[in-house]
Amino acid sequence: MKTTIEENGGVQVVTFEGRLDTAASAQTEKDLQSLDYESGQDIILDCSHLEYISSSGLRLFLGVLKNAKEKGIHVYIKGITDDVRSVFAMTGFINLFEFKQ
Amino acid sequence: MEDTLNLDCHGEMLMQQYRELLPTLQKLSADAYAQLCKALEEQGIYVTAVEHRVKTERSLAGKLELKGGKYRSIDDITDLVGLRVITFYSDEVDKVAAIAKHLFDIDWQDSVDKRKLHQLDAFGYNSLHYICRLKTGGPRFELQMRTALQHVWSTMVHDTGYKGSVRIPNEYLRQFSRLAGMMELMDEEFSRLRLLLADYRRRIQSMEKSGRLEDVPLSADTFRHYLELHPFDRLNRRIAAINQAEVYPVSLMPFLSVLESFGLETIGQVQHFVEENTEDAYQLAVSQLAVTNLDILSSSTALQNLCLVHVLRNGKGREGVRAIFSMLNGESDMNDSLADMALEQAASLPFMQNSEKSV
Repeated sequence: MKTTIEENGGVQVVTFEGRLDTAASAQTEKDLQSLDYESGQDIILDCSHLEYISSSGLRLFLGVLKNAKEKGIHVYIKGITDDVRSVFAMTGFINLFEFKQ
Repeated sequence: MEDTLNLDCHGEMLMQQYRELLPTLQKLSADAYAQLCKALEEQGIYVTAVEHRVKTERSLAGKLELKGGKYRSIDDITDLVGLRVITFYSDEVDKVAAIAKHLFDIDWQDSVDKRKLHQLDAFGYNSLHYICRLKTGGPRFELQMRTALQHVWSTMVHDTGYKGSVRIPNEYLRQFSRLAGMMELMDEEFSRLRLLLADYRRRIQSMEKSGRLEDVPLSADTFRHYLELHPFDRLNRRIAAINQAEVYPVSLMPFLSVLESFGLETIGQVQHFVEENTEDAYQLAVSQLAVTNLDILSSSTALQNLCLVHVLRNGKGREGVRAIFSMLNGESDMNDSLADMALEQAASLPFMQNSEKSV
């Protein structure tokens, strides 16, 4: 599982590659600590190459959303695959996030 | 270029007294403001603004030039420190006044209720002015209390130079009065409307408490109150038990438009909708979640499944499911995939067989 964060056109883009399962979530959580909520920049969670997300992964996404909301920052999920979308739909979190094509 | 103000000896003496008093006035202004804000907050009165200021030297000089002879000493000038409370509603002016009576010593001789000064057929400046003193003593100050609309009228009239050196013809004064009358009417209407709405809310809440849900129309207000009864908690807990999941709280208000689109018009009908679809919504959740180890769910899961089951049972099929996701998340191609996914998960459930038979 690889997580990269980079700024692109005034937006923080987090790119996930691989399977965000329980084993990978501890490292991903550390990686996400580099997000700068004080910058006021919106966040895009690019899931184009995210193959799987577990409950631990969902919790990380919810954590990002919570921190961002407190600072008035928008979080978008981009490029979601069918399998990951299914997880968001079944758990009802599909209605909580904003999605980008 | 600045205008030169000509003060006589008496005026100059008052100006000197003002300068010596200035630090006291500044402290008074801050103290009175702090006391008033604290009291308003404690009483739960939310106002548009609370303002405070110390009269500037220039403003005082202008006043003294015009009518300096009227004041024997600086203590006779009551608006060196001024506070203004701007309320939303006209009845709140009286509440603020009641608080001020408690908080400060009021000099009734110099206080004036401009609202009561007008002739029956005249309209104009409406504001309540109290001349106050802190309970701990010190110089007097003026407290103005008015509504936001009275404030708008007063500010705009002031801006037009109503009190300037050029005499305004009666024709224009009449237009100011007409506007004041309109503002007074609007203030009263807003207060009346607020009372009506408060009364309506109380009646609906009482109907909800007494269980007469059939009589309660479905609206943002009533749905919010209905949600306070936690009508989806039981189903959420059953669904969560499938994987011993944690339920993450989210707002269910976005579902109001979905329920309205089903033609549900009362809270009672929503209650029937819940009872009618609960078992199938649970079965749908089992078919979705039992094959996963997802142990976190949003608190919208139960209601989302109830809505999905409702449209599928009623033969609305893929389009019906798609419409739900469009209402919740906006139009997107993703809603097609979500609809396909939900249809696939529901395909083998008993209610789908019945719905196919009935279509």
